[in-house]
Amino acid sequence: MSKLSFRARALDASKPLPVFRCEDLPDLNEYASINRAVPQMPTGMEKEEESEHHLQRAISAQQVYGEKRDNMVIPVPEAESNISYYDSLYPGEFRMPKQLIHIQPFSLDTEQPDYDLDSDDEAFVNKLRKKMEITPLQFEEMIDRLEKGSGQQLVTLQEAKLLLKEDDDLIREVFDYWTRKRKACKSASLIPVVKQEKRDGSSTNDPYVAFRRRTEKMQTRKNRKNDEASYEKMLKLRRDLSRAVTILEMIKRREKSKRELLHLTLEIVEKRYSMADFGGEVMAEVLAQRALIKPTYTMPLIPLSSNQFRHQDHLELKDFKPKPEKTEVVRTKRKYEKKPKVLQPSSSVSQQSGHSSLPAFNAKDLNQYDFPSSDEEPFSQMLSGSSEAEEDSDPDGPFAFRRKAGCQYYAPGQGSNWPWCDPGDPRYRYSLTTLTVPHRCVGLARRRVGRGGRFLLDRAHSDLDNVFYGLDPEMHSLPAQSPNGKLASTSESNTSDRPAPPDLGHILLNIKSCRWRHFRPRTLPRDSDSSGLYRGLTRVSMANPRTQTGGSTSQSRTGPGPAPAAALTAEQYQQHQEQLALMQKQQLEQIQQQQAGNAPAALTTQGLVSKTLDSASAQFAASALVTTEELLAIKAKEEIVLGIGVNGVLPGSGKWSLHFATNSTTTANTATPSGHGAAAQVLMGNSVRLGMSSAGGTVNSITTLNARHIPRTLTAVPPSALKLAAAATANCQVPKVTAASSLDMVVRENHDQETTALNSIADSTVAMEVT
Amino acid sequence: PVTHNAPLPPCKRRGPGRVRSVGDGRLEVIEGCRLPVLRKNQENEDEWPLAEILSVKEVASRKLYYVHYIDFNKRLDEWVTPDRLDLKKLQLPKKEAKTPTKNGLPGSRPSSPERDVVRAGREGESQMSKRKAESVSLTTQVPPVTSVPSLPGSTEVTQASVYPSNGTSRRLIPSQPGRKRKANCVGTDEDSQDSSDGIPSAPRMTGSLVSDRSHDDIITRMKNIDCIELGRHRLKPWYFSPYPQELTALPILYLCEFCLKYLKSLKCLQRHLTKCNLRHPPGNEIYRKGTISFFEIDGRKNKTYSQNLCLLAKCFLDHKTLYYDTDPFLFYVMTEYDSKGFHIVGYFSKEKESTEDYNVACILTLPPYQRRGYGKLLIEFSYELSKVEGKTGTPEKPLSDLGLLSYRSYWSQTILEILMDLKSDNGERPQITINEISEITSVKKEDVISTLQYLNLINYYKGQYILTLSEDIVEGHERAMHKRHLRIDPKCLHFTPKDWSKRGKW
Repeated sequence: MSKLSFRARALDASKPLPVFRCEDLPDLNEYASINRAVPQMPTGMEKEEESEHHLQRAISAQQVYGEKRDNMVIPVPEAESNISYYDSLYPGEFRMPKQLIHIQPFSLDTEQPDYDLDSDDEAFVNKLRKKMEITPLQFEEMIDRLEKGSGQQLVTLQEAKLLLKEDDDLIREVFDYWTRKRKACKSASLIPVVKQEKRDGSSTNDPYVAFRRRTEKMQTRKNRKNDEASYEKMLKLRRDLSRAVTILEMIKRREKSKRELLHLTLEIVEKRYSMADFGGEVMAEVLAQRALIKPTYTMPLIPLSSNQFRHQDHLELKDFKPKPEKTEVVRTKRKYEKKPKVLQPSSSVSQQSGHSSLPAFNAKDLNQYDFPSSDEEPFSQMLSGSSEAEEDSDPDGPFAFRRKAGCQYYAPGQGSNWPWCDPGDPRYRYSLTTLTVPHRCVGLARRRVGRGGRFLLDRAHSDLDNVFYGLDPEMHSLPAQSPNGKLASTSESNTSDRPAPPDLGHILLNIKSCRWRHFRPRTLPRDSDSSGLYRGLTRVSMANPRTQTGGSTSQSRTGPGPAPAAALTAEQYQQHQEQLALMQKQQLEQIQQQQAGNAPAALTTQGLVSKTLDSASAQFAASALVTTEELLAIKAKEEIVLGIGVNGVLPGSGKWSLHFATNSTTTANTATPSGHGAAAQVLMGNSVRLGMSSAGGTVNSITTLNARHIPRTLTAVPPSALKLAAAATANCQVPKVTAASSLDMVVRENHDQETTALNSIADSTVAMEVT
Repeated sequence: PVTHNAPLPPCKRRGPGRVRSVGDGRLEVIEGCRLPVLRKNQENEDEWPLAEILSVKEVASRKLYYVHYIDFNKRLDEWVTPDRLDLKKLQLPKKEAKTPTKNGLPGSRPSSPERDVVRAGREGESQMSKRKAESVSLTTQVPPVTSVPSLPGSTEVTQASVYPSNGTSRRLIPSQPGRKRKANCVGTDEDSQDSSDGIPSAPRMTGSLVSDRSHDDIITRMKNIDCIELGRHRLKPWYFSPYPQELTALPILYLCEFCLKYLKSLKCLQRHLTKCNLRHPPGNEIYRKGTISFFEIDGRKNKTYSQNLCLLAKCFLDHKTLYYDTDPFLFYVMTEYDSKGFHIVGYFSKEKESTEDYNVACILTLPPYQRRGYGKLLIEFSYELSKVEGKTGTPEKPLSDLGLLSYRSYWSQTILEILMDLKSDNGERPQITINEISEITSVKKEDVISTLQYLNLINYYKGQYILTLSEDIVEGHERAMHKRHLRIDPKCLHFTPKDWSKRGKW
């Protein structure tokens, strides 16, 4: 038949199919064979199951009869529906709510125990009930907790007591019962649960393991590791960021405090200006009162401003004037930090106040993150020092030794083996001592080298002190000379041929004839020193570049001209020490001879006043606190230039003491001619300070001053010094301020103090310190 | 399992007279043997269908044999006493040549699960000439079969070639087409690659049914629960279900009718019922008409109930897999209300997101409610949901025998309803496209076509396809529709589909 010769087109689902009744198409059967062209659709059953006897029977029955007959159904295992006890099992009625049932989330989380009491438990509970009180629910709760508290290992009785809130007897009973039951039970839990998958994957094919967790697209181990790594990175990032936030908050606090401090300082300054307190007397008075009344609230900035003002008001400081505000600001800061340090040794009260003045600064926090402060570096270092000093365990307080990064530290010498400990060493005996600035004799003193190469003067009281103080008559004329601005005015005085006042003739004679040792630090470089005491002292002056070559003279600079500066080599220093000792010895002998009857014990070292005579120079202090002594011992042969900035000037009274605070960063003597100008100026300003405080009944004031920012010319620096300078620290600065001005101030200050305090001589020991 | 790969040629082991016997000369019936076993059919007549011994156990010194009637569904498998075995026609276990199937696609139903029994027997055989007496003990002290996983080994094809004259009534149907369809949808699964290197692999993670029976073993082939008491019903499970193993030995497993929690004793159930106050499935009621309600349960939010439901359903669904958690599924539980509460009648599960247009994953009417129209009601409800979603859908494959019958019946009635109602306008023949039928009913196009084919409605007539309605069809349909009084009323449905893709994963 031609009808069969062509293939039927594919069935098009989108093409309309006319619907016919079979009776309307009597010739349909002729076309029946073509129907096979329509592909058979799969049934969707497993092929073998499709062939199963009962299904095939049912399908054929369906096709034959249109609908399956009852006896052609697929047989299934029977089910019963006549549970007699059903009504008692599920008691009560449940009325259908009118609204569709809507369950609230979490409403299904009941606190009911998952464990259900079985017949054995019931028997046990009933038995137990005779002894103590227990309900089935209570029992179920206990078992439930015990079961859920147990992992691979069963809960111990001890843990059970923690888990259960019942009393101990009941717990013990139930625990024993549970342990027995648990041991008899083969399965993992008394609460039947569907087997969980094991982590090691061994349960992949266990048919009893069900409901495994779906891991989204199985990841390889590698990827998972990456995920962990990135997670950790995120954690770290978060930590870092929160740390940064903390730091910023602390900075904010610090800067706020700074601003506050500045405002307060300004206010004080204005007040003082309006009441014309240019000398700082009112200030000191107020401060002393405050220290007594409200010790904890002493303002940290107050004691130091007097000096600054004097700088600006009384001294015509050309360099300072153009930017007084700036220096003021920075100085304030500096003073602020240093205050506690200065005050600490003198009185505990001020120490306390010093600390209380630093509430906003948590130096430890600051250091912890090691971030650069907005301030100059020493700021934070010193801060950390002062804050750590708060710890009671630190006996040295702010003077405690602190390691500095990048420094080499040598082992300390043999304990108490200091040269001056040996009384026989002539170099360290007490001798008559005259300071260069201010130029006067301070009586008997011995020199020693302190920490960081500082030179300390131990002073001794003697009955002749009055005489000694008067040894240098030029002293009193010094202040008068200062304001006149004579650059080159120098008054020379020689130890040996100093004009002696008539009443001291005898002593002077002794001194002259070298029967007494008289130590006078020299500021003038002198290779061929006639006295032979000071050889090789090199002095370089920037403002006044001419090198002093006068024979055996010591200079006392009173004008605004260049301040004396000296460079001392190790050799020279050692030599100097030797000579000092010798002098001391002779001096002692002399005194003993003279006053054998009167005051034989007068010269003993009772009431030592340790003074800073000499401060380590810039390089020295900065380069790691290696004591000069050690340096000398170890590197005696090396040419190390010691920049001796200033020879400490101390008024004679034991009551007044001077601090020569050398800021390690304001190293004046390294010759770096350019740059750092502003910073140097700042530092300079900061380092000059006058600290006053009073404690107890006696006025005990500490004057801190730093007058060792002495300009030098590069050309005059010996090559060795240059070498050291180059190797030295980076914070070498050349101050723009002429040292003379500050020196002048110092002298004046000293003079004032001296005049007020000369009459009372107290053997008070004040630790002198050079930072 | 590697040791199975080089078996002896079967002919060497099989032959007349190579039958092992126990001491008294009787044949030893071991696992893998085939023999006619007596069973009653629906008309309560005796039948002796061929059956395979799957397991042997001894209860009170009496042996019991777990038999699978060949070409009968597994749900009819049962423990039988020795007197029901026709030992005269005993066929000893045959060991097929093992061709390791590299593609990991074994026959959907391994004829007999592999076990050490066979190997032990073989070893005994090889030694038989020397130590005949020992061979018996060797076969009897067979290790428990349960410990041996089956190999995805023999295919039907190899079986057929080895035993061309086997004479079994099993029809050897190449399993390829159906398999291929399945394989396509899991093409990206890592499982298929994994199985080739012998590593136990996890099944695919979508869907709820397995057709790949490579994981099938003797344990899952046997029912493990004797009886389940649920509400006022006692159910005889049809298939294996992974209830906690310690509960499988119980004569009756008790379930709470409302939360479906499994309990080992009536006492426990009583105690549980004092604490469980549920009287309906723990979900939102989205449909109610008369006593029939539907509750929607999120498999992620209500895991306990979902898992309990799955465990129960597995007792009656052969291909259902409980391998993975229930998170990606929604469960629609149909209940019938009475004064005690909302009693579960049946349920279907549905993937929240289906990549294959499935609108039903598993569907089950509990046996006590079967053959009363509830199945069709469940199916109808599933298509009503699809209509609300504006999608066409199809049940997940493979279908069970009952599933196929139910769906075919529903599809037939639904399509015939449309065709019968078609009005002719302008005096022309009423016509309709397959796509239109699909859109109206939400039945997937393929299912429409297959139903039309099954009903033999598609004819090629004069150069075009037409649909013809025979008198038989029309009458049958009208008869059926007359009996079908349970219907879903779309107006009673309060359902808003959720876009699960926007909610993260499930």
